[in-house]
Amino acid sequence: MARGSEAAGGEAAGSIAWERSSWAMRLRNLDPTILLWLLLIAVLLFLVINPLLRLVLTSFAEKDTGLFTLANYAAAYGRPRYVEALWNSLVLGTAVSALCLVLAVPIAWGVSRTDMPAKGLVRLLVLGTFITPPYLGAIGWILLAGPNAGWINRIWRGLTGAEEPLFDIYSFPGLTFIIAIYSFPYLFIFVTAALDVVSSEMEDAAAILGAGKWRTTVRITLPLVLPAILGGVIVTFLEAIALFGSPALIAIPARFNVVTTQLWQFFSHPARVEVAAAFAMPLLLVTVALFRLQQRIIARRGFVALTGKGGERRPIALGPWRWAMLGYALLVLSLAVVLPYLILGQAAFAKAWGRGFSLDNLTLDNFHFLLFQHATAQQSVVNSFLYAAATACIALGLALAIAYIVQRRLVPFGGVLSFLCMAPFVIPGIVLAIGFYAAYAPPPLSLYGTAWILILAFTTRFLPIAFANASAAMRSINPEMEDAVRILGGGRLLAIRRVIVPLLKTGLVGTWLLVFIPATRELSAAIFLYGPDTRTMAVMLFDLSEEGNFERLAALGWLLLAATIVIVAVGYRLVGRDFMLRRGSSD
Amino acid sequence: MRQTILGWAAAAALVIAAAPAARADFTQLYEAARKDGELTWYTAHFTTQQAEETGRAFEKKYPGIKVNVVRTTAQVAYQRLNQDMAAGVVKCDVFSSTDIGHYIELKKKGALLAHTPENAGKVGEPFQKLDPDGMYHATAAGLIVIGYRTDKLKPEELPKNWTDLLEPKWRNKISTGHPGFSGYVGTWVVTMEKLYGWQFFEKLEKNRPQIGRSINDTVTMLNAGERIVSFGPTATTLESADRGNPVGVIYPTDGSLLMVSPSAIIKGTSKPNAAKLFMEFLLDVENAQVAVKNRQESLRPEVRPLAGAKPYTEFKIIRPSDAEVAAGIPKAIERWRDLFGG
Repeated sequence: MARGSEAAGGEAAGSIAWERSSWAMRLRNLDPTILLWLLLIAVLLFLVINPLLRLVLTSFAEKDTGLFTLANYAAAYGRPRYVEALWNSLVLGTAVSALCLVLAVPIAWGVSRTDMPAKGLVRLLVLGTFITPPYLGAIGWILLAGPNAGWINRIWRGLTGAEEPLFDIYSFPGLTFIIAIYSFPYLFIFVTAALDVVSSEMEDAAAILGAGKWRTTVRITLPLVLPAILGGVIVTFLEAIALFGSPALIAIPARFNVVTTQLWQFFSHPARVEVAAAFAMPLLLVTVALFRLQQRIIARRGFVALTGKGGERRPIALGPWRWAMLGYALLVLSLAVVLPYLILGQAAFAKAWGRGFSLDNLTLDNFHFLLFQHATAQQSVVNSFLYAAATACIALGLALAIAYIVQRRLVPFGGVLSFLCMAPFVIPGIVLAIGFYAAYAPPPLSLYGTAWILILAFTTRFLPIAFANASAAMRSINPEMEDAVRILGGGRLLAIRRVIVPLLKTGLVGTWLLVFIPATRELSAAIFLYGPDTRTMAVMLFDLSEEGNFERLAALGWLLLAATIVIVAVGYRLVGRDFMLRRGSSD
Repeated sequence: MRQTILGWAAAAALVIAAAPAARADFTQLYEAARKDGELTWYTAHFTTQQAEETGRAFEKKYPGIKVNVVRTTAQVAYQRLNQDMAAGVVKCDVFSSTDIGHYIELKKKGALLAHTPENAGKVGEPFQKLDPDGMYHATAAGLIVIGYRTDKLKPEELPKNWTDLLEPKWRNKISTGHPGFSGYVGTWVVTMEKLYGWQFFEKLEKNRPQIGRSINDTVTMLNAGERIVSFGPTATTLESADRGNPVGVIYPTDGSLLMVSPSAIIKGTSKPNAAKLFMEFLLDVENAQVAVKNRQESLRPEVRPLAGAKPYTEFKIIRPSDAEVAAGIPKAIERWRDLFGG
């Protein structure tokens, strides 16, 4: 926009005819990409602002009349229990983020920067963690660490003769653990993506100046990827406070309350959507505060790692410590994937899992039933992957474009755009879904019952992940490379196509996966928006758990794991090693 | 499940062959319904599988009419219906919730079509005349009883009635749902309070029950071995037992809690005849057959439950009034959460 007015800036006022030609001139001189940016803002308006605005308005509206009122806020915060839920969520989010840092950053560093062995296996297991729906993992952990019958506690009692369980999953630490162990892949992927592009030269410089490996890592390498770490921490924090399934499984028996379980209460009959909306507002404010904080922390430093000037990457030799590194990674990942799936397998392959493990109790019937007999199981598997793929493509395109215009300051209100991209993450899925249903189910769009309402809601819901990742990646690219294209006469789009996209390619695939995978397991928005022909796998898992059909629930969990592994394997074939392993060694 | 379908088909064939004369004639209604071609059914009554089975059974009996089954939980179904109404569109033709409060509210708003199906008079006595004005009708029923681990409790150790479970020996052994998440549990809490006062729950709290959400969570906790007795549903517990799990049910001597779930036609439906025919079907013998195969209660006296379950005529039934439930549940949820936390 600035360019357009500049071009016409020096002209004096004149006749109407002149004005017309001036407009034509303005249009001619207009950078055509401006139109693209305007379109993007319109899309954001559609996906985020409209549903969000409805949410805010609802929180100030009287139930039937729609008149302005503050009564909803009084109702939402009028009881100590409700406020306590809010506090619990904040503590939970902080604890989860801290634990995720401990879980993810060392493994990410090990995989990306060191000569740790079996990196492929570690990456595969992280992927396995990531595709596991948190509530499925939580069920696995109930079986592992339930106070009475959990395997870990049974073994503990057998060994020590103790009365008390070793670890009671039904507790605040239990919930923190469960959420962290299934959220740390966000942070892992953010951090490895950033570490992968840091060249060894900077580390070498530190080494030349006499810094040891440890000091170099802490003072040079990790600070270089600070934006990625902060982005990942924020995402895990928001994930922790917006999650419904795991708190419902763990917090209710543990007898404490968090925001999402409280929101669910506001939705139960008689539903008080307006109170729920008021109750969701602090989450939005927390998000704003987090982003302010992030900006302040990284504002004063530069994080440009991709300069286009070449660079070398060498893994750091850890010596015998590389085995310790691998041991740590495998410990974390067996807690996240191996043990839960083993124990779920006992149910998935059992005729009656309550009977325990025995040869005559083994069967494949649960799989056979899901694949060939269930009315909607097959369709729901296909739906999940289709919608998730569409979501990933749309969200990625949108996030990249917005990250670009924000970072290159092409529009005056970039900060607002960033916030809008990140805001949906804290809106609990069910609240977002209601905003979408209210906005787009009725005519004129009548999207209800179509795949589009799901895809658009998912896109909105996961836009923050795509955006956080895309903007971290964008921040690492030196604008000089683009400027070079433009100095040589290339347009902005050419620069994007030929410089930015190729540089970001591996990161983009990672980001795509980061949206695709959670979209396949997304529950809270889906459960409100699906129609007769658009049921997804996550909805089915939830139905099966609600129906108490545990054998089939576990079998479906295994199918989900298998299907995603197949997709990733196909991805390998199509895209090459980059798809998941990115850079196996320095290149 | 294949067995279920075969069994159902055989049973249906038998019924159709044996009693054609006793059954109402819907030829005219069917003809009119065929012109409607399809209907949309928002249902929270059954499991997804059973809801689909019901839809397919209807389509088989009445070819040419398609049922769009939208199966969700009761609150989601109701929320959607309200959104539809706010937008001035009727997407749902027949509405089947498990929450009686929904119907009381819909009726007040004038959103229901007054229509009494012919089959409404042929269901068992406890299921008749749910609404004096014939706006909604009982189309599904379940029971809340005591569930237990058959391999961990000897017959002489079994509790006989609800209050037996307040004894200290059941400490850390009981599993229950949450009234804030399950209408079944909510109704059960209201009923227990009515019978034994709130002290029932104060004593129960001392036994540290495991609190899940859905009433079906109790079955999972029994199977996991985390707990050995439950305040649980007949349907899911017996279904789990059918698969070979070591669980069973006890009908408490002080009364099994009967849960009746209604269905209604939404006013303004563009498929009135298909909707009416579908209501007839929900009250018909075929649907009762599908129900007992899925371990739900049969509404029709001529369809008896499978082994392991008793017909409602053979044990004591308790059931609070709709008004008691509607008024009692919100209060019960608050008191429950004050007592148990979470």
